[in-house]
Amino acid sequence: MEELKKNILSIFNDLEIYIRKDNRMFINTKKETVLSLLSYFKNSGYDHLGLISCNDWIDDSKFELVYILSAYMANDEEFQEKEKRIIIIKTRIPREKAKFITVIDIFENAEPYERELHEMFGIKFEGHPRLTPLFLELKYETPPFRKDFDTEKYVENKFGKIPTIKERKNNQKNERT
Amino acid sequence: MRELELYFGPQHLGMVGNFSIKLKVEGDRIIKADANPGFLHRGFEKLMERRTWMQNFPLVCRINVVEPDHMELVYSMGVEKLAGIEVPERGKYIRSICCELARVGSHLFGLWAYSNMLGFDTVAQWAMYHRDLILDLFEELTGARVYHIYIRPGGVRRDFPDGFKEKVIETLHKIGGKVPDYNATFFENSLFKKRAEGIGKLSREEAKSMGAVGHVLKATGMKYDIRKIEPYAVYDQVDFNIPTREGGDAYSRLLTIRDEMIESVHMIFKLIDKMPDKGKVYTKTPNPFKWNIPEGEVYVRCESSRGELGLYMVSDGGDKPYRAHFNTPSYNHGLTVLEKVLVGESVSDVGNIMISLYVVAPEIDR
Repeated sequence: MEELKKNILSIFNDLEIYIRKDNRMFINTKKETVLSLLSYFKNSGYDHLGLISCNDWIDDSKFELVYILSAYMANDEEFQEKEKRIIIIKTRIPREKAKFITVIDIFENAEPYERELHEMFGIKFEGHPRLTPLFLELKYETPPFRKDFDTEKYVENKFGKIPTIKERKNNQKNERT
Repeated sequence: MRELELYFGPQHLGMVGNFSIKLKVEGDRIIKADANPGFLHRGFEKLMERRTWMQNFPLVCRINVVEPDHMELVYSMGVEKLAGIEVPERGKYIRSICCELARVGSHLFGLWAYSNMLGFDTVAQWAMYHRDLILDLFEELTGARVYHIYIRPGGVRRDFPDGFKEKVIETLHKIGGKVPDYNATFFENSLFKKRAEGIGKLSREEAKSMGAVGHVLKATGMKYDIRKIEPYAVYDQVDFNIPTREGGDAYSRLLTIRDEMIESVHMIFKLIDKMPDKGKVYTKTPNPFKWNIPEGEVYVRCESSRGELGLYMVSDGGDKPYRAHFNTPSYNHGLTVLEKVLVGESVSDVGNIMISLYVVAPEIDR
């Protein structure tokens, strides 16, 4: 792990790298370096994109994109140290008019993940061939997985408020009298 | 020939689960496939942000209907890692046994779906019956048949009841005794071989580039299994093989599933032998209403019966998760692999390919 860290730092600058005991490497980077970092890892054997996720840090008004990489086995018989490692690359982009570049050219299975993030967070991925809705049927003003989308308020506006038991009893009393 | 658009599912005999595919066909050949999920979308990850750490644990099992245990396991592992909780030894053994039982049950369900789709009704009935026997075991252990809500952060909810080990062994012997019959009627049947061989073929390079995991990858010859790579629970203390095949088609995938099932049954016998007789099964966790977990983020993974299952979770130091994102194996198989594999195949093989990829719709939608 330490060796890998040295190698990366010799090629890329402006990286913050943390290594955890459980073989996880967290890399914080600027958004410009993400693509070259991803292709560097792919070429050095970390060829399995596990997940693309997103955190909504609403207080900083930033989205944080998270790319999780691990390695497929190089040979069939033995397990190497490499497969135990997980590389987590994180980058922050502005929350207003959020947009980023697609990574489909590097990892083919990024397509549905990016589609989902576009739908749920409203991040536009430039160069993505189909950013059509994946799961949702209705259109929402605020994309539903953002932190400022209040589910309780939405349900109240959409379906009306359900009275509590106390309120219901009072209503019944009022109706009788 | 004229191109037609064909809606395959969610109401279709060849379709298992609430999932649909938009097909573009020319005659009998598929030119383009467009996976269309979303019929079961419940927004679990958003719901989790509004619930406390303990309230989430009965919620996550509902993500996968067929085998909820691995969902509970991966969530518990995530919370334990964030909060720094150790699980007692006996609890770990019970977790492993529970997960292997779930794997057998889930594979039997898959076998039911596949054989039913091909028209092997007898085999389908057997598989459903044997899955029911495993659900009976779970009912005795946890009180519920489908959603067990059993593997909790810190361990498992309760210990084995009296005489449960013997019942597990008896049931597994009953199922294992039927394996020759399964082989004779289904796995060695030339009808199955003719129908499944060469269908939905994937080379290893293709499977790797599409991010395939689990039995899809094992059917191309790679021993990629998280139980070996990053052992959780007690998988580092028990000896087991990872079955693989070379074909990469539906036939190899089904045979991998069968071998994995047999391997799991053997593993449960070993685990029951090795299990400590006494001990605590869970570590006490703080009051769930006042349980704040320190700030941090975590990515944990385990091997569910469909492949690598991951969970990325962030805590901001509060009593609820700030963000949780599940990396489910069906997501890749159902959206990326399925769309690519279907192109060029015949319409009558759509169900065949989809069920051999073992796509479970609620896992995609979440």
